[in-house]
Amino acid sequence: MIGSTLFYAQRLSAIFLLGYTVWLSSFFLFNQPLEFDAWSVFTDQIIFLIITSLVSLIIVIHSFIGLWTIGTDYFTSRTLGFVSPAIGKYANIIRGAYSLLFVFWGCVVISILLFTIWS
Amino acid sequence: MSINHNRARPVYINLLQIKLPISAISSITHRLAGIYIFFVTLPLSLFLLYFSTKSYNDFMFISALLKDSILFSTFVSFSFLVFAYHILTGVRHLLQDMHIGESLEASRVSSYIVFFLWSVLVAAVIWRILL
Repeated sequence: MIGSTLFYAQRLSAIFLLGYTVWLSSFFLFNQPLEFDAWSVFTDQIIFLIITSLVSLIIVIHSFIGLWTIGTDYFTSRTLGFVSPAIGKYANIIRGAYSLLFVFWGCVVISILLFTIWS
Repeated sequence: MSINHNRARPVYINLLQIKLPISAISSITHRLAGIYIFFVTLPLSLFLLYFSTKSYNDFMFISALLKDSILFSTFVSFSFLVFAYHILTGVRHLLQDMHIGESLEASRVSSYIVFFLWSVLVAAVIWRILL
């Protein structure tokens, strides 16, 4: 995959998530104090289910690119080697474990999200 | 050329020793906020969504918890303020990606604007909790 694809995927997903946040925030703003009825009607709408499902996929794209760049920037033999040269030697393994952790965590969270809204 | 190769040259990067300009602080805290959101705010909002839509009783339980427990409401407020911070700095980055406010001076000013806007939000939330 070329870098510019990741660059644009990161930015476009950010804009989509920003729009979703504004949408949800405006619902909370106009429904103060929040009542159960208004909230359950809102979350049972088909448009909420579809957009939130789409959002869960976009969260995966946005967060995985972001967390991956953090890993390649800070979990390297040079930065970890500052903590201790012995740790620095295992930078690739540490970064791999970190990547596995966030991929696993992301998959768990998104599965629960999809299960929650559709059940 | 005479370069003294015997002098101890840095091999590792001490991230704490580098003095960061304000725009870099804005950028690195954006990343830290991103990690926090992924591992804390996201599962927390999932927890809130699950119980607030499950049944009327669960909804009332969550609202009572938010009202009565200062610890829980502070934790929830903090988590969403971190999210707000990520969004504010993120919008700043998006504008810069579109070549708006790219200069050194503009990026310094916009960092301060973002910090100011976020402080206003923090103050508003603290005011609401204490009220």
